[in-house]
Amino acid sequence: MTIQSMAGGMTLESLLKDIPSLIKSLRENRETYLTDAVLLGEIPAPTFGEEERVRLALDRFRENGLDNPEIDEFGNASGILPGKVGNSTILVMAHADSVFGPEVRHVLNVGSDSISGPGIADNAIGMAAIVGLPKLLDKLGIQLKDDILLLINTKSLGVANLEGSRGFLETKQRPIRAGICVEGAEQGRLSYSGLGALRGQINLCLPSNYDWNRFGAAGAISHLTRLVSKVMEIPVPKEPKTKMVFGEIHSGSSFNTSPKSGILRFEISSEGDEVVEEMEAQVNELCEQYSLETGLEVKMEVVAKRQNCGIPFTHPLVKTTRSIMSEAGITPAVDPSTGDLNSIILAGHPGVTLGLTQAENLREANESIKLEPLYSGIAQMITLLRAIDQGLCES
Amino acid sequence: MTGNNQKWLEENTFHHGEFWDILKLVEEKEKKGLKISLCIPTLNEEKTIGKEVLILRSELMERYPLIDEFAVIDSGSTDKTLEVASNFGADVYLASDILPEVGDKRGKGENLWKAIHQLKGDIICYVDADISNIHPRFVYGLIAPLIRKDEVQYVKAFYDRPLNYSSGLRSSGGGRVTEILIRPLFSLFYPELTNIVQPLSGEYAARREVLEVIPFPIGYGVETSHLLDLYEKFGLEAFAQTDLDRRVHRNQTTNALGKMSFGILQTFFNRLHAQGKIDQMPNMETFYRRFEVDEGFYNQVIQEVIEEERPPMIDIEGYRNRNQ
Repeated sequence: MTIQSMAGGMTLESLLKDIPSLIKSLRENRETYLTDAVLLGEIPAPTFGEEERVRLALDRFRENGLDNPEIDEFGNASGILPGKVGNSTILVMAHADSVFGPEVRHVLNVGSDSISGPGIADNAIGMAAIVGLPKLLDKLGIQLKDDILLLINTKSLGVANLEGSRGFLETKQRPIRAGICVEGAEQGRLSYSGLGALRGQINLCLPSNYDWNRFGAAGAISHLTRLVSKVMEIPVPKEPKTKMVFGEIHSGSSFNTSPKSGILRFEISSEGDEVVEEMEAQVNELCEQYSLETGLEVKMEVVAKRQNCGIPFTHPLVKTTRSIMSEAGITPAVDPSTGDLNSIILAGHPGVTLGLTQAENLREANESIKLEPLYSGIAQMITLLRAIDQGLCES
Repeated sequence: MTGNNQKWLEENTFHHGEFWDILKLVEEKEKKGLKISLCIPTLNEEKTIGKEVLILRSELMERYPLIDEFAVIDSGSTDKTLEVASNFGADVYLASDILPEVGDKRGKGENLWKAIHQLKGDIICYVDADISNIHPRFVYGLIAPLIRKDEVQYVKAFYDRPLNYSSGLRSSGGGRVTEILIRPLFSLFYPELTNIVQPLSGEYAARREVLEVIPFPIGYGVETSHLLDLYEKFGLEAFAQTDLDRRVHRNQTTNALGKMSFGILQTFFNRLHAQGKIDQMPNMETFYRRFEVDEGFYNQVIQEVIEEERPPMIDIEGYRNRNQ
């Protein structure tokens, strides 16, 4: 298939018309990105330990002929696919880190219609779509006017506080027309705003002279559960939309020993920055109160915090993305992001996050992706790139 | 260890990292006008075959045209092996359809043997289908010595099998059958072949002209027979071996290994018989040879093991007189 983009001034309708043949070509050329998904995905890359995976991405950037392939001070790999004109730059990025540590056996299984294994959806397949993009565009005969800045960023998840993407965007002095964040799942995801969020960790510790005869004395697990009950009493407003998630709890080592310390991790996200601030203060106060009442050391630590940001629903980038999704047979699901999109928007660039395919058991060792929806997922990404390149997403 | 053995180890033992520049290999291959075929023998391998075909085909045919032909030769799988392999672009053959006039025998060796007829390459590389951590190195690491060194005829893989880290050395041994059966047998009858670190590894590449002049056992003995027959014809100089790092694969039960050993012993004693080593048993070697790896160097460790014997106690005068 050869798609002509260079006959300037293409309309959105003509780009949309190309989508079915694009999906077909992406199905035929799937080896281009599936192989990279497996090779990248089988290298463990926990947050702060992404070096080896990023090095392979960089090798691929070099092999695929990108300009200025490099690893920056934050460990991100980037390279530039030069456009025909090169007056402006479109950023396309995917995070390299995964929730799985090196102790997990990173073996992916490839079936006729699916790939399974730890981290394939989040985010090996997303990375592969970025890494393989130059070869794909070449095979598809698509040449853009803009430069494309490809970024495999590190330190995106958990406590990393978007360090990789923030660092890259703060130091990269390059005017960016728009940014696309690529996630393996879930297809249909459309994020155009970053949610204000706080990730906190409560460290609870029994002092060495803890009085086990005191009224209410208990081990760390009992205390943590009491504390969770108290935190849950904090009212969570419906407007602005707010959510509190208790994501992790760690304590104890055996059946019959009362643990002396424990950790609780949670996230507060809200469309109102002031709500996040208020709830942070309330949790802090609760910890202080609990500490004084029980004689325990209870401290809350903020490990990541970000502000609300976004572009309007009516922004042409969002509008065009919705049209493309619809033509590709994808039902959009608006979902504010707490990920790397925040870095793009806070750096002053319009951006969206897209999901490529359908996944099951996300973030479990038996995580899997479906291949058939993937072709339309990548087609939406390429068509959006073409639309941005054609100036169809400007406000 | 003898000087010849050390020289062979130094000159004919490689690490796949030496051949990372695949583009250069492709240029050398084309300059020599060589055609290379890759064969994966299968029987019910639906879980791993998709990934093997995807990665090897995409990296070594599409990205770098090192392989000219890629075939899966199957023994009659009843699972989705053929469907998956063909889905990812492999040429798929049933062993029973190749050379039907010679009949159909069931076993991996049959597929390897029929591949010589079916495939057109000057070099044929065989890779087992059950490798979970498949990577292009499993192929280019074996083909490269044949492209680079005209005198090499047959290249064998060996792997990092971390069996012993406590001493700071890692055993570079093979699996249980290699260590318990093959290495002692080779130490006794074919001491030079003990230089091959993993004689039973299922991955190897060879030139057509040597593959077409040796018989192929159908079952477990095929790897052993290749070594014995090619050694008899061409000597140790025809061999090379490449360290392919770690290989993750299925673990076999002790029962399965016993069956495998039984098949290998048949092949081994057939060779001893054919080479006149059974009727005129040579003096048995008393040196046991194994390998250790220390900081990237492969050292053959030779230990003298003399199985001295005591006579029946009844023959001892002191015993007979003890109650008198």
